[in-house]
Amino acid sequence: MFQVILKRLVMLIPVLIGITLLGFLLLQVMPGDPASRAMGTRASPEELAAMRKLWGLDQPLWLQYLYFLRDCLTGSFGVSIFHKMPVIGLVAERLPFTLAIVAYSTLIALAVALPFAILAALRRGTVVDGAIRHVFVALIAMPPFWLCYVLILWLALGLGWFPTGGVGQGVGENLSRLFLPSLVVGLSTAALIQQSLRAALIDTLKADYVDTARAKGLSGAQVFLRHVLPNSLISTISIIGVRVSWIIGGTVVVEKIFSVPGLGSLLIDAIVSRDLPVIRGLTVFFAIMVVIVNLVTDICYALADPRVRLE
Amino acid sequence: MKTRLNFRALLLASTLSLAALSAEAETLRVAMGYDPVSLDPIATSDNGSIWTQLLIYDTLVRPDATGTKLEPGLAESWTVSDDGLTIRFKLRDAKFSDGTPVTAEDVQFSIARAASEESGWGRFYRPITRFEIPNPREIVMHLTEPFTPAFNNLALFAAAILPKAALEAKGAAFFDAPVGSGPFVLKKWTRGASLELVKNPYYWQAGKPAVDEAVLEVVTEPSARVIKLEAGEVDVALDPPLNQLAALKAEPGITTGSVTPYRADFVQLNTRYAPLGNEKVRQALNYAIDKTALIKGVLYGEGTPAASAMPVMAYADPALTPYPYDPAKAKALLAEAGYPEGFEAEMLVDSGIATQRNTAIALQAMLAQVGVKVKIQMLESGTQWETTKAGGYQMSLSYTTSDTIDPDQIIGFVAVNPERANAYHTEWKNERLNALYTQERKTVNGPERGAMFREMIQILHDGAPFLFLYHPATVWAEKDYVKGFSVLPTSNFRLEDVTIAK
Repeated sequence: MFQVILKRLVMLIPVLIGITLLGFLLLQVMPGDPASRAMGTRASPEELAAMRKLWGLDQPLWLQYLYFLRDCLTGSFGVSIFHKMPVIGLVAERLPFTLAIVAYSTLIALAVALPFAILAALRRGTVVDGAIRHVFVALIAMPPFWLCYVLILWLALGLGWFPTGGVGQGVGENLSRLFLPSLVVGLSTAALIQQSLRAALIDTLKADYVDTARAKGLSGAQVFLRHVLPNSLISTISIIGVRVSWIIGGTVVVEKIFSVPGLGSLLIDAIVSRDLPVIRGLTVFFAIMVVIVNLVTDICYALADPRVRLE
Repeated sequence: MKTRLNFRALLLASTLSLAALSAEAETLRVAMGYDPVSLDPIATSDNGSIWTQLLIYDTLVRPDATGTKLEPGLAESWTVSDDGLTIRFKLRDAKFSDGTPVTAEDVQFSIARAASEESGWGRFYRPITRFEIPNPREIVMHLTEPFTPAFNNLALFAAAILPKAALEAKGAAFFDAPVGSGPFVLKKWTRGASLELVKNPYYWQAGKPAVDEAVLEVVTEPSARVIKLEAGEVDVALDPPLNQLAALKAEPGITTGSVTPYRADFVQLNTRYAPLGNEKVRQALNYAIDKTALIKGVLYGEGTPAASAMPVMAYADPALTPYPYDPAKAKALLAEAGYPEGFEAEMLVDSGIATQRNTAIALQAMLAQVGVKVKIQMLESGTQWETTKAGGYQMSLSYTTSDTIDPDQIIGFVAVNPERANAYHTEWKNERLNALYTQERKTVNGPERGAMFREMIQILHDGAPFLFLYHPATVWAEKDYVKGFSVLPTSNFRLEDVTIAK
């Protein structure tokens, strides 16, 4: 297994080279120049040229690309034009909040989805199953920004159970501050998990080995926990894997509404100000995260299902 | 005996709790929509950075609360020579937040730094070519040729006075924990989330600031700022959504305020595009806009109609009135110009700002009334900016704000061609205006310079290279126990006079 992981990590290299090249070239196509964004209304052509020179944007493209590769290899991922600090430093400041939302929302999703998926599968075709399905389909359909405001108005302003957003100091305070944003993200993950897990459970319940287990004299609960549930979790693991990759950079709306300084809003702000090193650096960073999450997902497959072999 | 003891215990307890009360730091919390990127004054141009810097650093002179004249900052007095070539400052007895005195050395260092190559504002300070320091509390600045805006530019954040020794010792790291002579010192900066400021113990205005700490919370969503105010998590919310203003005013415990900053909103008309090259067409379009309806409908009343693309500031002509709403006259002018059936045009709009989107839709309907069919194209702000700059547009909804209280910066930008922006990329050109601009910059402040500005703005009004729209107000909402908070016409805010009366 260790060798397999190592092999996968080595395969990362060509993928990442492709990403750096693509990320670099796409930015060249995008209209907009950081110097003119920064100098705005007061810039003369000479001043713009001086700024571009100061930031190394006057260098030939291939040289800029090589500098970028060097920055990726040395781990700084480049230096932000406007923040004047290494991209990795900006990421380090915001990554804890993003990772907290990833973990928190996944826990919430599992806590919500598992019981309802099991209940729906065991009572399939009944009113209970139908009611659960309607609620979860509604959850998928709800736009996150709307859900954010409803939850703020209800749980934060109305009942006063949670702060309206922001981040604080220490684990305890952040557990309460990050609950609502994690709930919004977690509920849509839960909706996806519930639907697929229910279907998987129903399939598994029909399998021959489940009948065998019952025939062997195992109790209903034992059959379910030892044979049905683990064999049905593959789809759940894939969904969590995909969602985690997405949450790392894709929860801008939730971050903005709850004032959470996450990686998604860092990327959006960088795009608006045309902070090219930050956009490039984050692209590569996100790519690395996606590859790692996929690898972890594959490992989880192997752990959950002995038939799956990592190769 | 027993009762006496109890009484003493009670007395002790009450004094203790009083002490605890007074020892509790009084904190003002402000929710703002911008995330500061850097506290280096020469490297920034975003609102979040500028506003924060102005709470931490001082300038030699600064705009007063009305925004019409300059008041003493670190300089307690000054004289400008009659030829405008020498400016002499006398510094007040002030200290930086690390306890070291503010000297003429620091002033020279800071202004020279603002004029340097790595400064984004260099052109503002390069006319100052030589410094002279008669003693540590006095500095003389020499110009080689007259440049009247130079004095005003010293009131800009980019000319903030920084401690030479500390900055040279620390380099770029200085700005992670900056030292200034302003009312507040940075205590903690959680990027993207908040800046915690504490009062500068050495601040030169005795007894100020009134609050012990000020927290600037970065809340980019306008509705979220209002929610935080309602939940009591902040005391002041800047720029609430305009459509929630009426509801906020009605809410007990919350008051709102508004001020008209130096800003003008307009539509750039590319005069290289055939119909818009005709002055009559551009005037016709101006007559077709019902500004009062726009202000009422889009700004919820928070604004005033604009007579030109210049913010209403020093030397403004109160007699200059906006184009009246007169569709009949607009149609007549269009017919006269050879477009009786109107024409088609595309308008670029920043997709990220609700007010801009709503204004664009209203403009589209108003212009349709006179036969001009406008197609709206929503763009991300950076792309819109680049497209207009490259000249590949027909109409573009935009605005301008002034960083200084002197109108020189903005007129050079919106009306002068070639200069910096070819009359803000409208490619409109007026030789008389260009000549006045060159002259105004060499003329000392006074009625003569004022007359030049009034003539330039009149020419801009008549030439109409823009659809002049409105001057939107800056609005804020605050808890009623906050006293003395106000946004200045320069869009920033000072907190040293704010008190909390709970």
